[in-house]
Order: sequence, then structure tokens, then C-alpha cells
Amino acid sequence: MTDTQWNDDDPMDARLRDLANEYNRPTGVVPREAMWQAIAPTVRAAAQAPDIAPAGTPSITRKRRTIAPFAWSTALAAGLVLGIMLEREVLAPRGGTVDTTPRGADSRQVATTTPIPMSGATVVAKAPDRTTQVATTNTPQVERRGARATATNESAPATGSTTTDIGANAQQLYRLAARQTLVQAEALLTAYRASDDQPRDQESMQQAGRWARDVLTSTRLLLDSPAANDPQMRALFTDLELVLAQIVQLSGAPLQAGERELIERAMRDRDLLPRLRSAVPAGATAD
Amino acid sequence: MDGQQQQLDEADLIARVRAGDEAAGRKLYDAHVDRVFWLAYRMSGRHELAQDFTQDAFIRAFSRLNEYRGEAAFGSWLHTIAVSVILNGLQKVKRFDQREAVLDEAVMVPSRTRHAEPDLKERLKKAIDALPEGCRTVFLLHDVEGYTHEEIGSALEITAGTSKAQLSRARAKLRESLADFAGEWVHD
Repeated sequence: MTDTQWNDDDPMDARLRDLANEYNRPTGVVPREAMWQAIAPTVRAAAQAPDIAPAGTPSITRKRRTIAPFAWSTALAAGLVLGIMLEREVLAPRGGTVDTTPRGADSRQVATTTPIPMSGATVVAKAPDRTTQVATTNTPQVERRGARATATNESAPATGSTTTDIGANAQQLYRLAARQTLVQAEALLTAYRASDDQPRDQESMQQAGRWARDVLTSTRLLLDSPAANDPQMRALFTDLELVLAQIVQLSGAPLQAGERELIERAMRDRDLLPRLRSAVPAGATAD
Repeated sequence: MDGQQQQLDEADLIARVRAGDEAAGRKLYDAHVDRVFWLAYRMSGRHELAQDFTQDAFIRAFSRLNEYRGEAAFGSWLHTIAVSVILNGLQKVKRFDQREAVLDEAVMVPSRTRHAEPDLKERLKKAIDALPEGCRTVFLLHDVEGYTHEEIGSALEITAGTSKAQLSRARAKLRESLADFAGEWVHD
């Protein structure tokens, strides 16, 4: 006898199979008319307005209403992720060093990370070491990229202006991605705190959770990118990651008071909102 | 009526429903409601839940009819929605069921004397209820409702191989749970 099939020759298997059919064996009649009364409005409404469910289907209509405010954030997050991935896949190999994680011999040449200025954020520049020996221009990020390109392409001299352009583009891309993520995070956390006094149902918690998950994805990508070379920015991203992870984790059900307090305390202890606001220039939008 | 003809008729019905023909919607509903309802009943064991799940499944199906591209049979598409609705619905009542099961076990006094059939039926029911959710679903869909592994895979968004593995696990667990009955049948 195998586990994968019933064995008809085995009396136990044969009996089990027969008895399994008795499990919750349907009895009585199917209440067709009663169910149709609830379903028919959907059929009528589907024909009149194919994309809008009728009043008889509260769960579906509620879902459509509540999703709308979050749709833009999802689209934005998707754009962010795509942008960062594109930069990594397309720009990094040609432009040289984008990922600052030490990787074998190459890591010696990129051991010093040059921070990418963030809009409105305080930038602390690390003192460059070896790479400063070949740095000759006024733009640290571009210098590093230029030096790296020269070092890795000695047999085929790099086209300086192209590399500089790519480096500048990457820098701009990271700056934009970081700013958008921070704007998103600020909006999310502000909305989250503003809803303190309102009773929250599971649906809205799940929506907030989805929004937080999108921002969390962007935050983690940025943490692993040169955008996090700035120590202050890295610390901000790390704290943000923690709070967002808590919101995501607890978004499956309405929050208990203790759980909410946990998130609130994490935000308060880290001065998260004030730091986010100071990192994002006034008037900045998630464009 | 052969399968191809049935599919053509259904395609026609679906087109009419999309055009606003409520009678066509009713025909489509009548053609599938029994199977959906019995499936919901098998999986929930409660008439009122089966009714709720069936209604919800049809409401979703009709409201998303524009998403149906005709790549699979309408019945398969509908059952995919139904299985999803039923499993989600069962998740919501699961906590209550678990509490109830604990109470049942607490008041149940083990009996030495067994009346083979009623006792076995009851034990089998409890054993099926106790299966892990994935195993139980696959077991009921395959062994009780007669779905193929491909249909199950499509409905549960798993591979046919995973469905087979879950079924195998379910059967093994049932045999194990009811092993003490084996001797009686051998000597019958």
C-alpha cells in the first residue's frame, strides 16, 4: 500500500474512502431562490456599470472605495522600485561603483563611500582616503566614479564625459528615490497618527499595511543603495524600517491598545516624524 | 449535450449577461449553483455558511465577469473564485471552530466499547477536521468532490505536484489516525 493512493484491496482503505463521502454530506435542497435574491442585483448592476458592484455587495463596494486613496501610493512605490532596480542593473555596471558593499579586490577601490546629498537633509561627508588621490573635480560622487572607471578600464580608457553623466544621473535618481520615499513615509506616519482617535476596522488596517509595505520595500532598497551612505540618512532609514515593519506586521487585524502604543513609542523614541520632516524639504511632493 | 456544445452555450450566456440579460445570468447560475453550494457545504459543514459562501462566490464572479477571458471553462473559473471565497470565509470562522473543538474534546469521555460504524464515522470526521488546512482542502476537493489535481492546482494556486503531495499527506494522516480500526475490518 502506498500513501498516494487508496488501495481497494485493503479493507481499511476501501472503508475510509466510502466513509469520506459521508463527510459533511450535503442534505436537503439548495436554497436557489434565496441566494438568487442576493445575487440578482449584481447581475443587473454589472450590466449597467461593469466596473462597479451594486449596493447588495457591501464587501466589494467597500473595498473599491477604500483602495482608491492608496492606489497612487502603490503606483509610486512600484515606480520607485523600478527606478532603483533599473539604476542598479543598467547604470551600475557601466558607471562603475554604485553598490558600496565590499566585494573582493574591488572593494579596496570603493572603500570610501561618498554621500549623496539629499534634498533638505543634513549631509555629513566622510573624509575620502585612497580615492582622494585621484580626485580632481569639485563633485565628489563624480570623482569617485571617474576614478573607478579609469582604474577598471585601463586598457580601454573611459569616456570621461559619459561616465560623469551616468554618475550624475544615478546620483539624481537616488536623490529622487530617497526624497519620494521619505515624503511617502511622512504622509503615511502622519495619517497613521492622525487616525488615533478613530476606530479602525480590519479593512483599513490592511490598507495601511499595504501602503506601509510599499514604503518599506523602497526603504529597504534605499538602505542597500548609495543613498544610505550618509550616516544620518542610514539611521533614518533604519528607524523608519523598524516602524514600518511593525505597522506591516500588525496590520492583519484591528490594533490592540498595547500594539498601537508599541508603534507610537517606536516613533516617539526615535523622533521619527520630526526627522522625516527635516529631511524632506518643505513643499516637496512625491512627484 | 457534449462539452464543446456546453462551452458554446456558456459563452453565449456570458455574452448575454455582459449585455445586461438577467435571465441569462439566472441560467448560468442555475447551471453551477448546486456544485458550488455542495462544495461550500462539504468544506464548511454548515448550511448557513454554505449559503453565504455561495452567494459571495457568485456575486464576485458576476461583478468580475469582464475579467473572464474564456481561456478556461467558466465552471473552472467560477470554482477558483468559490474555493478562494470559501477558504477566506473559513479563516474568519476558524477561531470560533477551534474554541468549539477544544470544548468538545474536553467533555468527550473516551469509550472502550466501540460501535464500529458510528464511531468510525465520527472519528473520521474529526480526523478530517484535524487535517492541516491545505491537506484537508485538497483531500475534500479530490477524494470527495472529484476534482483533478490540475483543477485543484488552479483553484488553490499551487502546482499539481503539490496537490498530489498534500493528498498523500492527508491520506497518510487519516490512516494513522484510524489505525486502531484496521484489525476489525480484516477479521470481518
